[in-house]
Amino acid sequence: MDLFNALVALSNFVIIPAIAYGSQLALGALGVTLIYGILRFSNFAHGDTMAFGAMLAVLITWLLQSMGVSFGPLPTALLALPFAILGTMALVLLTDRVVYRFYREQKAKPVILVIVSMGVMFIMNGLVRFIIGPNDQRFSDGERFIISVREFKALTGLKEGLAIKTTQGITVVVAIICVALLFWFLNRTRTGKSMRAYSDNEDLALLSGINPERVVMYTWLIVAALATTAGVLYGLDKSFKPFVYFQLLLPIFASAIVGGLGSPLGAIAGGFVIAFSEVTITYAWKKVLKYAMPESLEPSSLVQLLSTDYKFAVSFVILIVVLLFKPTGLFKGKSV
Amino acid sequence: MTGNPYQDDRGNKDATIANPKGGSDMTPAMGTGKEMNTTDAFLVGDSMTGGYGKDGPDILHDCTIAVNPGEIAVIVGPNGAGKSTGMKAVFGMLNLRQGSVRLDGEDITSLSPQDRVAKGMGFVPQTNNIFTSMTVEENLEMGAFIRKDDFLDTMEQVYGLFPILKDKRNQPAGELSGGQRQQVAVGRALMTQPKVLMLDEPTAGVSPIVMDELFDRIIEVSRTGIPILMVEQNARQALEIADKGYVLVQGRNAFTGTGKDLLADEEVRKSFLGG
Amino acid sequence: MSDTTRTAALFGLVFAMIALTGFMQSWNVALFILNMGLISAIMALGVNLQWGFAGLFNVGVMGFVALGGLAVVLTSAAPVEGAWSAGGWRIVIALLAGAGTIVGTVMVRQRMAKGRARTIATLSILVVGFFLYRGIFDPAVEAVEAINPALQGNLGGLNLPVLLAWPMGGLLAAGVAWLIGKTALGLRSDYLAIATLGIAEIIIAVMKNEDWLARGVKNMVGLDRPVPYEIDLQNTSSFVNRAEGLGLDPATASSLFVKLNYSMLFTVVLVIIFVMAQLALKSPWGRMMRAIRDNEVAAEAMGKDVTNRHLQIFVLGSAVCGIAGAMMTTLDGQLTPGTYQPLRYTFLIWVMVIVGGSGNNLGAVLGGFLIWFLWVQVEPMGLWLMEMITVGMPEGSGLKKHLIDSAAHMRLLTMGVILLLVLRFSPRGLIPEK
Repeated sequence: MDLFNALVALSNFVIIPAIAYGSQLALGALGVTLIYGILRFSNFAHGDTMAFGAMLAVLITWLLQSMGVSFGPLPTALLALPFAILGTMALVLLTDRVVYRFYREQKAKPVILVIVSMGVMFIMNGLVRFIIGPNDQRFSDGERFIISVREFKALTGLKEGLAIKTTQGITVVVAIICVALLFWFLNRTRTGKSMRAYSDNEDLALLSGINPERVVMYTWLIVAALATTAGVLYGLDKSFKPFVYFQLLLPIFASAIVGGLGSPLGAIAGGFVIAFSEVTITYAWKKVLKYAMPESLEPSSLVQLLSTDYKFAVSFVILIVVLLFKPTGLFKGKSV
Repeated sequence: MTGNPYQDDRGNKDATIANPKGGSDMTPAMGTGKEMNTTDAFLVGDSMTGGYGKDGPDILHDCTIAVNPGEIAVIVGPNGAGKSTGMKAVFGMLNLRQGSVRLDGEDITSLSPQDRVAKGMGFVPQTNNIFTSMTVEENLEMGAFIRKDDFLDTMEQVYGLFPILKDKRNQPAGELSGGQRQQVAVGRALMTQPKVLMLDEPTAGVSPIVMDELFDRIIEVSRTGIPILMVEQNARQALEIADKGYVLVQGRNAFTGTGKDLLADEEVRKSFLGG
Repeated sequence: MSDTTRTAALFGLVFAMIALTGFMQSWNVALFILNMGLISAIMALGVNLQWGFAGLFNVGVMGFVALGGLAVVLTSAAPVEGAWSAGGWRIVIALLAGAGTIVGTVMVRQRMAKGRARTIATLSILVVGFFLYRGIFDPAVEAVEAINPALQGNLGGLNLPVLLAWPMGGLLAAGVAWLIGKTALGLRSDYLAIATLGIAEIIIAVMKNEDWLARGVKNMVGLDRPVPYEIDLQNTSSFVNRAEGLGLDPATASSLFVKLNYSMLFTVVLVIIFVMAQLALKSPWGRMMRAIRDNEVAAEAMGKDVTNRHLQIFVLGSAVCGIAGAMMTTLDGQLTPGTYQPLRYTFLIWVMVIVGGSGNNLGAVLGGFLIWFLWVQVEPMGLWLMEMITVGMPEGSGLKKHLIDSAAHMRLLTMGVILLLVLRFSPRGLIPEK
């Protein structure tokens, strides 16, 4: 019985949160990796693109709520998501048109584009703070739990409870749908294949009659959709705060690199690797060990390997270890 | 420092932020300083003079290359003679100070390489000529990207020409051997059903046996009626299959004639074919 | 000659704007801009060393600036009584044990042959080392942090003169930079950007959470300063007399006097670092740096040790940022780890370098002043703009309030726009590299 309790505690505090967080990171990392593969630079503005998308979703959610629209047990934000995606798409296309396209025409070196993306980052960051302010915003509604601790205890009779938040469930489901759609698009459709071809060999893609501007446009559209979805899911699960999205940049880059930059599959794997390491290393294991260990060995301290504030350090160390031993990342991306 | 400030990356090679892999180094050149019309053929690069960049030194000097349907034209010459450069000039990747390029009577001198592909030119670059991360079949599919009609017939034809590709259709092209990669590259170019096929050193870096096989395939392609313009390092073998041969020396037409004539020419043999 | 005139005109313009601030707003604000401008210029020089000379993409400037700040506390603060005997030495031992674990792991990996034995040895050293470290560290930290937690709870510093803290800040930053460079630059192909981005966050996290070090988010206030205190000046009759002679009230005069003192100190440091950077740029070492930057392959073929040269310049540039960080903390008189944000302390410095002109030290200095001036002044300008826009709106309208409240965020927007405009229309910066 104690083992079951340990298992439940483990799921409740480690596995489920890590899966949800990993899905959010994976969606973010997919966007970064697509830009890296096709536009050939690391987009420092990605975190702020996520923030912008999430902000739109928050505003539209508020609007819907004020109109009395709701999505039953699900958060209204899910209804707002498509509109937010459209808005973000418009923004990134505008950015590409006004900013990035010029540098493509100049055949600018990738580093120049990185610096340009810093400028875009400033602007988007300012824009988000300008519109919604720098503070925390809550916008999740609907049913809070798929299964709550009390229900679970009543159901199983276990001492330890298990709670699955609606947002966690939604995160995983939406992430799976997004990833499936993306892979179907990249591997099965003509446009998707042309994007892969362009990423693989730009000159040959041109010689095959692939229009680079179209490829770039589709890339931005997909990135906008992924970033907004990731941003909204993260905001629903935790809360919406512009600065937090900026800080997500590090774990997202780490995920993309750990998985192998330029490899979509790697981005997903990297997201989960980073999320699981962060959560397991910063979790206080006392609760789980209490059940799993015999009474005499029961730990007196919290058994927390690192304080939660060091979660950045975790993604960073994982990154270094992976790069030391497997420089191309877990999945063979472009060599780093 | 380079001339273009946007290309000044200060030597940064940080692969986490910059991804130079697969990037474009093709610089389309447009137009010509002075049109020329001296010969007539299906595809003709007429009296071309020019070099790379806006004001780079001239590499080609009044060089003419032409090919007609059913023919294999081969450009040979010593290292640095401008063979590949001549090919690139025909394909629109070189600034021409003088000369014209005409395809089927139409002046295409001011078209970009992509537009020339749309006009019916198929080009197989010397290196990086396949999508390594994509399967063989996807490579062919991408070759047919500009076609709106059903290209399955063409794909069957390509598989007919290169049966090995059919067996490996679902393998990533990057995993194939050198000779097979070249077949993928040629097959990809054929997918547009080009009016003319241009090959830049198709046998570079393959073993002699594979080279012979590749030449056989190229002859087969030519038998379907497509004119082929080819740059070759292996001058003797190439001239043996050539209907027309151009020997370039320092960017100029040194000798021109049928493959047989050139092989028989005492001077050509002495200077380029090793006796 | 026109280059020199252009440079002079640009500098003249910036200083005229600062002077104008003095006349129109207040000299206090003007001097504040000048002082922080001097510090920003030094930071920009540091980043310019790395990016402009060597093409190293360091986005962890914040970390080195913060380390400089930490050095001020560790150098100049008074030691906390009893802290060392309570747990200070044990903390040092624990840290040494931690370092020893890592060194041991590396050595095992180098000495032993590849195989299962090595993996087991590596893992066991890591696990044993970690628990040993935590076993000594945790109680020691607890003991230190228990000492007068409301005001202290940290180890304190060496009680040395605060001016010494500036070079110490440089040294501390250099040491950490050496560690990062050794790991990041030594790999097959460098990945400095992401490494520095991460390290900066880790440094801030350590400073926020390790209360025994410098009180973490509880902040260190009332740090020593190398200039007199305003209140002392106001109580000195000779100073009050002289101030009144100039027609200033003692309070304003004392604060101006203190700021001017700082300006002079900072100017001295800036000039020293600038001259050194210029000499370095013109020296054979600097020429080699640029040769490596322009063609790494050729430089390597000529037998230049590219990785080591990169490591050198990375350490030097970071040290300069550390010095600037120490100066800034001294100017503030307090260390507040919670206020370090990458946008302000990393990316803004980058804007300064790019706008000023990468590869040109004068450009970096100009960028430091100009961007800092704008960073400060965009806020009042934005407020003014918003008030103009909303002038027709009814009093108490929600939109009006929102617009005026949001004016503060205009500065980020403006910085982005400036960076993009410069990159587009003057990609080599205002004073380009020759």
